[in-house]
Order: sequence, then structure tokens, then C-alpha cells
Amino acid sequence: MSSIFCLLPVLIFLVFLLAVSLKIQHDSAKDRANNFVRDYFIGGRTLGGFVLAMTTAATYSSVSTFVGGPGMAWVIGYGWLYMAMVQVVVIFLVLGVFGKKIALVAHKIDAVTVIDVLRARYHSNLLANFAALVTVAFFCATMVAQFVGAAKLFEAVTGYSYVTGLTMFGVIVVLYTTVGGFKGVAVTDAFCAIAMVVGVCLLFGCMMSAGGGYTKIMTDMATYHPDMLEPFSAGKMPMSLYISQWLLVGICTLSLPQSVVRGISYKNTKALHNAMLIGTIVIGLMTLVATSIGVFAKGILTQELSVYGTIDNITPRTIVECMGPFWAGVCIIGPVAATISTVSSLLLTASGSIVKDVYLNICQERGKTIANDKIKRLSLMGTIIIGFAVYFIAIAPPSVIWKINMFAFGGLETAFFWVLVFGLFWQGANKTGALFAMFGGVLIYCVSMALKFKVLDLHQIVLGIGGSLILFLVGNALGKKPDEKTLRLFFPEMFD
Amino acid sequence: MKQSEKFRQANKEALATCIATLLVIAFWWVAGFGLADCKVMLFSTPLWVWTGCVGTWIFTCLVVWLLIKFVFQDFSLEDGEVPHE
Repeated sequence: MSSIFCLLPVLIFLVFLLAVSLKIQHDSAKDRANNFVRDYFIGGRTLGGFVLAMTTAATYSSVSTFVGGPGMAWVIGYGWLYMAMVQVVVIFLVLGVFGKKIALVAHKIDAVTVIDVLRARYHSNLLANFAALVTVAFFCATMVAQFVGAAKLFEAVTGYSYVTGLTMFGVIVVLYTTVGGFKGVAVTDAFCAIAMVVGVCLLFGCMMSAGGGYTKIMTDMATYHPDMLEPFSAGKMPMSLYISQWLLVGICTLSLPQSVVRGISYKNTKALHNAMLIGTIVIGLMTLVATSIGVFAKGILTQELSVYGTIDNITPRTIVECMGPFWAGVCIIGPVAATISTVSSLLLTASGSIVKDVYLNICQERGKTIANDKIKRLSLMGTIIIGFAVYFIAIAPPSVIWKINMFAFGGLETAFFWVLVFGLFWQGANKTGALFAMFGGVLIYCVSMALKFKVLDLHQIVLGIGGSLILFLVGNALGKKPDEKTLRLFFPEMFD
Repeated sequence: MKQSEKFRQANKEALATCIATLLVIAFWWVAGFGLADCKVMLFSTPLWVWTGCVGTWIFTCLVVWLLIKFVFQDFSLEDGEVPHE
């Protein structure tokens, strides 16, 4: 159904986001002339509760919230929805555990990235540079995967080619991230989160009427697929999968740097508190509605999976079956918004890692001061170069990208989990322990993923996080205690 | 509030957040797996789906509301006091 009506709503939405971003750039010209790095990478620490909640939720919800999740729910049933609900903890957990402490420290040392904080805590260039490398590599692979997922969905729903869709939102997201900086990303994320909620609710409504009503869908399910009504789905959802998911997409997301950095960005504690509640309401609603769409789609796409191809085709097929071109075009704003809001945050964090954590730090160590204008040029260039590199790779992604992407989510969690938790909450944690944990954890995780080696049928994240913990404790016993200046900065309560 | 008190408070809040997470996990487990064998249907959907999915969401919002209402405290993030040298 290649019609202009299909294309128009998304295009209008994207142009609107670009305009918002330009306006933010215009409004923050003064702050940027003053201290570019702080305004560009962390929004001058001005986020209110609503925007903080929305940007954290939107960064977390990705294209898989709309495609992979519902697709699996179509196969498994309510068990998958029940499992997906673990995501309800992700927002309040990261903001509640790290939000205050990292903000207190960041205000003291004027940090704008998570790696700034790690550098101040452990005084290790090796650790900081490795963290930057891990961040950039895994983020780029994730961005490519997000682009590919969304462009495929776009092609399947609108009938326009893969490259058309990719170019449309790919180019615009790179542009608005580059000009808007962190504040632009945060505000556009808020609009994206609203678009996601609207998109899923719209699809939900249309689907109910197309499937002959809720009661009919449910009665058919009880008759033809009774296993979809059980949590273990007749063995398709083993307990080990539930436990793995609690760790992988629940608790361990605590340490994802793109989420933690949001703990540096807010205005005051009230904003943080409100964001915890609003974020939990929004992420819970989105998970519930988006995933249950997959369950109810069973009443619309009633044939075998082989008829539809892969589970990734379930969402687009459902949209096409239930909606006319115009409403399908409106609805697809949801998944596109989920994609670009994730990409924008990752892109900015990646360019921040290169410009701030690596380049500016090298300059500082050599005693060179860089003019604000030059930093500005470099940061804008860094963002746009990484952005377009990702866009071009996404046009024809090499297979290695999928391998890296498979490692990305858990790899990031493993790299940062203990280094952040112990760094902020354990006075005794030292540099050697942190280095052991980060290098060793990532290595253990990636090797066990590559070899598909599992313990008790649990996801490799268990090995990564567990191994990283043991290595931290071993390394810590070998290393020297942190100096008093660091302790006064991170644990002033020890001296009082 | 003195800087050291702010850090103590932040530690307390982090601990409370972890306890809240454990509560959510416990609720999720009991409300889902615990009621999975119950044959009651509510609007043609098994009871455990309502309690385990919608219920967990509402329960989590409630827990977070209690957290920010009774445990979390407002304070300035700026360092109001020079730490003792």
C-alpha cells in the first residue's frame, strides 16, 4: 500500500522533531558559548521530572518493544507478557540507586559523562579508555540494528523501499541529535515517548475491532491455543528463561551508561522523584499494551508462523491487516519514535565518549587547553560523523554487526555493573579490582556467548556478572586502597 | 543539610530502592506463578494474567509512590559546605 498518506504522518513528525531541536539549539546559544561541553552533553543539568522520565523511558524502549516483543508474544502467549513485565523496574531502579549519588559527585567535579565519574573514582586512564571503547563499539552496533529493524518495519507497512525509510529517519535523527545536543535529545525523546503510547493504543483499538472483539479473540485462544494462557506455555517458557530475563532486561540494566548518564542531567531532587514515578507508569503501560498486541494478534493472524515468515513480520502484518494507509502511517510513528529516541541517546553518548572522555582528556594531560569554539566544532563533527557512519553501515550491514549487537546489551551491563555499584557504594573498591572486573567480565561474557556456553540453562549474563564480581574481589585484594582525596569526594560521610 | 548527611541519605535511598525492587519481584512471582493454577477467568482472561501483569504494574507504581513520599528527601545538589580539610 505504497501511498503518500502512509508516508506523510511520519515525515511531519520527523520534521517537527527537527524544528524542536533547532529551537533548543537557538535558545541555548548563550549557555553553549559559555560552557559548550556541559550544555551539549548533559543539557546544563536542567531537566525537569517529566522530560527526565520520558527520555529515560524512551531511550530504554527500542524497536524491539514494538517488533521482537510482540512477535514472541504471538508465539508464546501471555507467558511472554508476564516475562516482559520485569521491565517495570528499570526506570525507578537506575534513578533510585544511582540518581542522587552520581548527581552529588558530578556537581562537585563538574562531570558530564559516566566515564568522567569513573575516572575520578579509580584514577585509571586504561579503565576510562576501555570503557569508552566498549561504549562506542557496542552503541554503534546497537544503533545499526535499531535502524535496520525500523527500516524493515517501515518497508513492510508502507510499501516504500528499505532505503527510503532508513534515509528519512536516519538522516533526520542524526541531524537533530547533532544540533540539539543532550537537551534536544531529551525533549525530542519526550515527544517520542508520547508518540509511542499513542501508536500502541491506536493499534490496540483497531486490532480489537478487526479481530471481532476482545471476547471472541480470547474464546478462540482458549479453544485453539490453550497453552497461550499458561505462564510456562506448555514448556515453551521455561523457568530459566524467566530468571535470565529478570537479570538481562531487568536488574542488570541498572548499569547501562546511557541510562546512568541521565542521573547527572536533572535540575533538582524533586525532578528525580517525579521522574521515578512518571517513568514507571509510562514504561509499564507501554510494555503492557505493546506486548499484549502480540498476544491478541493471534486472533488476526491465525495461520502458522511459516505463512508469515519470521516473528519480526507479526507487527507489520498486524498493522496492515487492521488499518487503512493513513492510520497505518500514523501508527508507525510509534516504532519509528522508539527507534530514533534510542539512537539519539546512544549517538550522543558515543560522541561524548570520544570527544570528552578520550580526546579532551589527552589534551588536558598534556597541559593543553582547548578553546570553547574548537570543542564545539569537534563535538558537532564527532556526532555527525558517527551518525552518518552508522547510517551508511545500516544500508547494507555486514554480518559482523549482528554478532556485536548480540553481545552489546549484556556486554555493556557486564562492563559497568560492579565498577559502578562498588565505585559509588563501597569505600574499599580500588582500581585493580575495577580493571579486573571490567576486562575480565566482558571477556567471560563474550566468550561464553560466542561458545553458547550456559550454566543451568541461564543466559550468559549470569556468567558475565558473576565472573566480573569474583574478579573484582580478587583484583581488589591485590590492589592499593583508594587515596583520601578520592574518598572525601565519594564518601564524605566517612569523615564526619 | 550537610554534604555528609546528603551522602548518607543517598545511600539510604539506594538501599530502599533495592528493597523495593525485591518487593516487586516477590509480588510478581506470587501474583503470576502463585495464581497460575487458579481456574478463575476474569473477562475471558485467566486471573494470573491480570494480577501478574496489570497487578505488578500497579503494585510497582504504588511502591515507587511510597518510596518518593516517605523515604526520598529533597536537598540541594550543590555542595553547600566546604568539606573539612
